Amino acid sequence: MSRIAPALWTTCAALALALPAHAMEPQDILDRVCTTCHAPRADGSLPRIDDGRRTPEGWDMTLVRMMRNHGVRMTGEERATMVRHLADTRGLSVAETEGWRYILEQEPVAVDEAPNQDMAEMCARCHSFARVAVQRRTREDWAHMIHFHLGQFPTLEYQALARDRDWWGIAMGDVLDFLAENYGYGERVASLAADLSGAWTVAGRMPGRGDYAGTMHVMAEGTDYEVHLDLGFADGSHAHFDGRGLVYGAGEWRATLSDGETEIRQVMALGADGALSGRWFDAESDVIGARMLAAREDGTPRILGVSPGHLRLGEAAEITLTGVGLSGAPVLPEGVSAELVSESATQVVLRVTAAAEAAVGPVTLGLGDLAAPLVLYDRLDRIAVVPEVTISRVGGNDGPIAKVPAQFEVVGYLNGPDGAPGTEDDILVGHFPADWSTEDFDEVAAAMEDARFAGVIDGAGRFTPGDAGPNPERPMTTNNAGNLWVVARLEQAGEVLEGRAQLFATVQRFVDPPIR
Amino acid sequence: MKHLTPANTRAKAMDEALAADPAGPAEGSAEEVLAMNALVGCTTSFDPGWEIDAFGGVANLCQPMEADLYGCADPCWWPAQVPDTMTTYPNWTENAPASEADWRQLQSVFPRLKG
Repeated sequence: MSRIAPALWTTCAALALALPAHAMEPQDILDRVCTTCHAPRADGSLPRIDDGRRTPEGWDMTLVRMMRNHGVRMTGEERATMVRHLADTRGLSVAETEGWRYILEQEPVAVDEAPNQDMAEMCARCHSFARVAVQRRTREDWAHMIHFHLGQFPTLEYQALARDRDWWGIAMGDVLDFLAENYGYGERVASLAADLSGAWTVAGRMPGRGDYAGTMHVMAEGTDYEVHLDLGFADGSHAHFDGRGLVYGAGEWRATLSDGETEIRQVMALGADGALSGRWFDAESDVIGARMLAAREDGTPRILGVSPGHLRLGEAAEITLTGVGLSGAPVLPEGVSAELVSESATQVVLRVTAAAEAAVGPVTLGLGDLAAPLVLYDRLDRIAVVPEVTISRVGGNDGPIAKVPAQFEVVGYLNGPDGAPGTEDDILVGHFPADWSTEDFDEVAAAMEDARFAGVIDGAGRFTPGDAGPNPERPMTTNNAGNLWVVARLEQAGEVLEGRAQLFATVQRFVDPPIR
Repeated sequence: MKHLTPANTRAKAMDEALAADPAGPAEGSAEEVLAMNALVGCTTSFDPGWEIDAFGGVANLCQPMEADLYGCADPCWWPAQVPDTMTTYPNWTENAPASEADWRQLQSVFPRLKG
């Protein structure tokens, strides 16, 4: 290839978008701008563009790369329009993303697992494997992707252990075979025709804050939706967010809402059951958020949430069932009695009492034909901190990158029938408040006084890391990084249960795309 | 292995497999434990590591990170964490000639899509 070609492409692309792009429809941009480089084949298809399918975030990253490295100029509005068009016409089905949605949801409690050693070594050393798994490409396009990686990031040869093996042979052999076989192009997916307008009942739990339930009103407006979200938390607090949402492709719901102070982002998927499920998070701090399940109020009756989902023997508590189409009498397990406090189609509140002599373990709390899980317990056998290993990142200190906190929770367990902790029959009782602290993880951390410098944890289990930048108070002006134990203690009838997690309080990342 | 602390479930599985199978991987279970998973968003290149070092800590990272940051950016050593100035972000460091002093000028590079 002539050395001048890339320069010409860049120039052409830049010139192409000097056209009056503001007046152009997405298909026009494809036909008149993208084709400047992606010249149509004889059958009219566009190389690369028509050879892959991706999530909205995946297409956005592609467009940003075109802007960054190939000189394409787009306004924010044009970029959003193109993401939508490409995700609508060249997207994935929700089913194709299952198992990997954590990467779209920015779910902090997730472990990224590549399907085999080759893929772990070749792909997942730099970025998540999920990033690979939420793409579909023709074999030829996967081959182009591998070539692109080598051209764009030439020293990846070292990361790929090129000194010790024929990494390129593996990349273009077994790795390409695996990608083509498991993540081949497949079939185009039709975009959703249904209108999601209506009242949706929502339920979930926000780590650090607790269970919540509420209503999301969705109203079609043009090609998007107006969205109003009302949440009531188990601690008595409320939140109200307004904004706009849209569906990309076959069922990728994205919304950006605000309560006037905090902007939140919803990343959810429309399931085959008609429910929306996923996560919402602070747009500026994606660790802070909550999983959410939503069902339209005129949909099939179902229970979306039970709060609390556990009850101690000999005690009474108000248990709130959240759902849609709720009706019928409570159906109580043995040893449990209940009084109806309030009822509606979307919320039933019961005052539930567990007899002191009832059997501990999971039971079913029924409501008419519906059922919800409840766990009866007397004493917790142990507690654990989740996530058991995670990271935070330094930030702030007048720098441009915000701190990335870490959020921990305590879950309580019963040992189960075998009486032994940590075995498969252990019973997860639920989430519990605890006292939180941090400690140096080991002697090295103690010598560096990591717990003193790396950050602080609050009463809700949220760890706020230290300031970015070299710290002159530390040896060698090292960063406020640290290797910490996060310790939770919970008092139970005179004994103290303790759980621990490891926290790597580490440095910031400067490349932070929507799919990491 | 006694000097290493398992940093994730896979590493723990490896520890357990080795404890149960001291004769080594040729005998069985440890061979089945592949280093396949990681904390989402962290690199698993541990030479010396960006978020976590090769010893399951942070003390053996290059620190302060700013002192050697351009030694990471120039050769695109952590291309998913640090902008590579070799090809992708040639101008990333232009406002920060001395990273240890000018680190506040170093931006996060992905432009967030509004809306």
